Amino acid sequence: MGLGEVFLLLLFSNKEGSTLQTGKFDRYASILFALLGAAFLIESRNISKSAYGSEVGPNVFPFLLGLILILLSVKLFLESFKNIQKEKKNTESLQIKRFIIILTASLLYAGFIETLGYILSTFLFLYVSFQAMERGSWIKNGIIALAFSFFVYFLFVVVLEGSLPGMPIWFS
Amino acid sequence: MGVMDFLMQGFQTAIQPQNLFFAFIGVLIGTAVGVLPGIGPMSGVALLIPVTATFTSGMDPSAAATSSIILLAGVYYGAMYGGSTTSILLNTPGESSSVVTTLDGYQMARQGRAGAALSIAAIGSFFAGIVSIIGLVLLADPLSEMALKFGPAEYFSLMLLGLAAVSGLAGGSITKAWMMTVTGLLIATIGIDAVSGVARFTYDIPVLFGGLEFLTVAVGLFALGEVFKTILHKEEDAEKVAKVGRVLPSRADLKESAGPIARGSFLGFFIGVLPGAGATLASFFSYIAEKKISKNPEKFGKGAIAGVAAPESANNAASGGAMIPLLTLGIPGSGTTAILMGALIMYNVQPGPLLFSDHPDVAWGLIASMFIGNLMLLILNMPLVKVFAKIIETPAKYLLPIIIAISVFGVYAVQVTTFDLFLLIGFGLAGYLLAQNDYPIAPLVLGLVLGPMIENNMRRALTTSNGDFMVFVQQPISAFFLVCAVLWILIPFVLRLKGKNVVVNVEG
Repeated sequence: MGLGEVFLLLLFSNKEGSTLQTGKFDRYASILFALLGAAFLIESRNISKSAYGSEVGPNVFPFLLGLILILLSVKLFLESFKNIQKEKKNTESLQIKRFIIILTASLLYAGFIETLGYILSTFLFLYVSFQAMERGSWIKNGIIALAFSFFVYFLFVVVLEGSLPGMPIWFS
Repeated sequence: MGVMDFLMQGFQTAIQPQNLFFAFIGVLIGTAVGVLPGIGPMSGVALLIPVTATFTSGMDPSAAATSSIILLAGVYYGAMYGGSTTSILLNTPGESSSVVTTLDGYQMARQGRAGAALSIAAIGSFFAGIVSIIGLVLLADPLSEMALKFGPAEYFSLMLLGLAAVSGLAGGSITKAWMMTVTGLLIATIGIDAVSGVARFTYDIPVLFGGLEFLTVAVGLFALGEVFKTILHKEEDAEKVAKVGRVLPSRADLKESAGPIARGSFLGFFIGVLPGAGATLASFFSYIAEKKISKNPEKFGKGAIAGVAAPESANNAASGGAMIPLLTLGIPGSGTTAILMGALIMYNVQPGPLLFSDHPDVAWGLIASMFIGNLMLLILNMPLVKVFAKIIETPAKYLLPIIIAISVFGVYAVQVTTFDLFLLIGFGLAGYLLAQNDYPIAPLVLGLVLGPMIENNMRRALTTSNGDFMVFVQQPISAFFLVCAVLWILIPFVLRLKGKNVVVNVEG
C-alpha cells in the first residue's frame, strides 16, 4: 500500500472538485484573470517609482504579480482545451428562482440598511428569504425574523453599546 | 523563565472568567459548526471574527486579542470533534476531515454501536488534542528562537515556501491554485503601501485607502460562497439519523482503540505541522496506516472501531499541530490558520517568533486555553452528544438566510460602510463560482494575508542588497527554503508526468 493508494482514496472520497470538468468556465475565467493581471500590470506603471526608504519602489511587486497572473492565465487557457471534450452536461437542476430572490434581497438589504435602520431591514430581508427558501406559515417565519432582528440589535446596541443604524430616518 | 513558568502564566490568563467563557463559547460553536454539514471550520471561524470583535470591543487591545483568539481557535478544534457526529450518525461528513470516519463510523451506527463510536471519537480527539498541545509547548520556544535569527531574505523565502505548500496541495489543478494565490497577493496590494506611503490602485476613492478588508473578503468567499451554493443546489432528502444508544464505550472497545488513538495522534500531529498538509490528509493517512498494521484488515469498512479512533484522533492532532508554524513562524499552513492569522493581525498582534516575547499573554494564554477547551469538549461531547445530534435537524430554510444576516451584521458592525456589504456579496458570488469550478479558495486568502509581509520582506532584503535579487539564493537558509519550495512544486509535477494520480484536496 503506497502513496498511490492514499491519493486514489482522496480522489474518490472527494465528492466534487477534482473530477469536475470545467473547460468552458476555465476559458472565460482565464481571459478574465489575464485582464485582471493586465490591469494591475498597466496601472502599476502609474505608481510613483520613488524608492524612498527602499531600493525597490512600490510599483515592482504588483508589476511582477500582474505578469505572473497573465502567464498563469495563458497556461490555464491552453489547459482548458484538454478538458473540453470530456465535458459532461450538468444534469443537476439549479434552484435559480430562489437564488435570484435571495441575492436581490441581500443587495437591497445592503443598500437600504442605513436608510431603513437595522431592525426593519433585517426583518424584511429575513422574511423574504425564509419565504423564498420554502413557502411557509407567514406568522412563524415573521416571528423568527423579528426575533432575530430584535435580539441582535438588543445584544449589540443595548448590552454591548455598539452602534447600528436604529430606526428609519423619517421615523425618528 | 522556563517553559513551565510561561505555561503557568498562560493558565492564569486562560482561567480568567471572561476567557473561560470565550473558550466555552468557542468550543460550543465549533462543535455545532462541525455537526452542521455545509459550514466548515473555515467559514465558521471567518463568520465569528466580526462577532468576537464586537464582543471584545471594550477591552484593552492585548486582552481583546487573547480572548478573541481563544474563542476562534476553540471553533477550529471544536469543529474537529463535531465533524465525527454526522459522519457516524448520518453517513454525511460535517467537514472534509471526517470523510474517512464515515467508512467505519456509519457501519458501527447501523450495528447499534453509534454511542460507542461517538464516545471513542471524543476520547481519541481529547487525547490527540493534549498530545498536540504538549508538542506545541515543547516546540514553541526552540522554533521561535531559531526564527528570531531570520532576516528579511529568509522570511521572504519561508513565506514563499508556505504559499508553495498550500498551493501545491490544494485541489485538482496546480495552475488554478497558483492563480488564486497570485490574485490574493494582488488584491493585497490595493491601498496605501506600508513602506513608502504611496497609494496604490485607490483612484482617490476613500474606502480603498485602507485596502480591501481581509475580514470582508474571507467571510464573503467562505461563508457566503457556501450559503449561495446550498441555496442553488437542491439539498438531498434528509436521511434518517441513527439512534445514538449507549454512550459509554465497553472495556473491549477501549482496549481495541488505545493503539490507534496513540498512533493517530502522533501521525496527525506531524502532518499538521507541515504546511499545506492538513487535518484531511492526516485522517486519511492514519486510517490507511491502521488498516495496514491491523491483524484483521478485513474488518475495516465493516465497523472496526480502530477505523473511527485513528482518523478522529489524527484530524484533531493535526489541527493542534497546524498552530505551531502559525504561532512560532508566523506562517499559516492552511486556510483556517490563515484566517486565524488575519484575526490576530486585526488586533495588531503579529504572529511569529516575536509573539512569544512581545505578547506572551496571547501566545501562552491560547496554549493553556487549548488544554481547558479540550477538556470542555470531552465533557460536552460525551453526555451531550444526543443534544448535538439534534442540531443536524436544523432546517436549512432558516439557517441559510440567518447566516447571510450574521455575515452582513458582522461586516457592517466592524467596517460601518455599505461599500463593504456590496463587496461581501460580490466575493460571496465569486467564492461560489470559483469553488464550483475547482478553484481552491484557501490559497487566495493565504495570499491576501501574507501579501503585505512578503512584499515588505522582499523590499527590505533587496534594499540591503542594493536591488540584487541574488540575495535570496546567497543566504544559505533562504536558499534552502527556496529549494524546498521548488521541490514542492516539481515533485507532484514529475509524479504526474509518470502517470500517477496526485490529486490531494485539503480542507485548508
